[in-house]
Amino acid sequence: MKKVIVNILIILTFLIIYIIQTNFFNWFNIAGIKPNLYVIFILFIGLFAGRKMGISYGIVFGIILDLLANTNIGITSLMLGVIGYLGGYFDKNFSKENRITIMSMQIGATIIFELGTYIINAFVLSYEIEIITFVKILLIELLYNTLLTIVIYPIMQKAGYKIEEIIKNKNINLLTRYF
Amino acid sequence: MNKKKSGIIGIIITIIIIILLVTLSNTEINNLSFAENAVNKIVMPIQNALTYLKNKISGNTTFFASIDELKKENEELKKTNSELETTSRELEIIKAENETLKEYLNLTEKYNTYTTKPAYIISKDTSNYNNIFVINIGEKDGIQPNMTVIADKGLVGHIISVTDNTAKVQTIISTSNTVSATLSTSRDNVICRGTLNNNELKATYISTYATIAEGENVETSGMGGIYPKGIHIGTIKQVVNTKNVIDRYAIITPAVDFNRIETVLVITN
Repeated sequence: MKKVIVNILIILTFLIIYIIQTNFFNWFNIAGIKPNLYVIFILFIGLFAGRKMGISYGIVFGIILDLLANTNIGITSLMLGVIGYLGGYFDKNFSKENRITIMSMQIGATIIFELGTYIINAFVLSYEIEIITFVKILLIELLYNTLLTIVIYPIMQKAGYKIEEIIKNKNINLLTRYF
Repeated sequence: MNKKKSGIIGIIITIIIIILLVTLSNTEINNLSFAENAVNKIVMPIQNALTYLKNKISGNTTFFASIDELKKENEELKKTNSELETTSRELEIIKAENETLKEYLNLTEKYNTYTTKPAYIISKDTSNYNNIFVINIGEKDGIQPNMTVIADKGLVGHIISVTDNTAKVQTIISTSNTVSATLSTSRDNVICRGTLNNNELKATYISTYATIAEGENVETSGMGGIYPKGIHIGTIKQVVNTKNVIDRYAIITPAVDFNRIETVLVITN
């Protein structure tokens, strides 16, 4: 039951993030450049709810995003899936207690996501690769994402540990219900 | 307890930094004229004094001797100036006359020959590297893929897919989009490509004998089958000459401000 609620909450959060990303950040941007909350969100799911959830939510949300505002279906979805996997990998190998670790994980994930999407798109849609402009945009985006991570870190940590408790320790929950 | 407090202070400082960055990066330089003024007020007197001194030293010998000559020259210049002004006024009148005549002859295919449907932009693309937006009319309003989308000032893009009530528009500034265009005075053909920079298009495939000047208008050529002929795209901002004439390119500023665009028109015929 609790698991279902967690899933519903994740989907609701995704909707809220979509609305924020498409409306609010269109005018609240740094020099015309928006942050990427999806990467932070999928990384968060992968980190706290495990690799499977991270990958599946990454792919599903990616397909929805591709359908809503993209030319090709599958690129965002693939890259968000990779981010979900990365979240699971980080979960196994690093501690989540520290703010700076989470920030550096976020920086790595954003770089991988944007670089991957840009390169795949450049191949699929055959356009010239402009390295300098791309790096400029990426740096501002990274700065913005990092600042946002600092702001939402406490919420992330609290909600994250609750989700971890519900999803990963389901056996204990069952036991406590019966005894 | 102490740790928690410092954490909250850190978050507040970060929020302030974000707001500052956003506001500073989005205010135009014109709005900061008070700062410019202040700096100018401090620097200008010194600069004035220095130039005065320099002029005094270098032009001391001819300063008094040439006053009469200057007066004469000034009068002559005034005369020519008034003459030029009258001719320019005449030209202006001729230009206006020419334009009305052209309109009578239906030589200019203006937008009023197309039937258009107004639409609002309801959502913009979420990534920084592509430029697609969604408008609030769709198949039920007679919108179909490959229709041209314009705004009051010029070309915006074309429709790539439709649902019942919405349609996706690919803008001309997105990197995967190319438009066949003509230079309005010399009638040379170029290809306009979107770049990662939102306020620039790149014109390539300029033929080697083409004359291309800064400030020239660029419009669609009608080739390619999507965009009708004669829709304004933008003006040439800069011509970049490379070592080889073949791969020189020009940077075009689009007429439409894609960062602030809110309503568009879809050409339906």
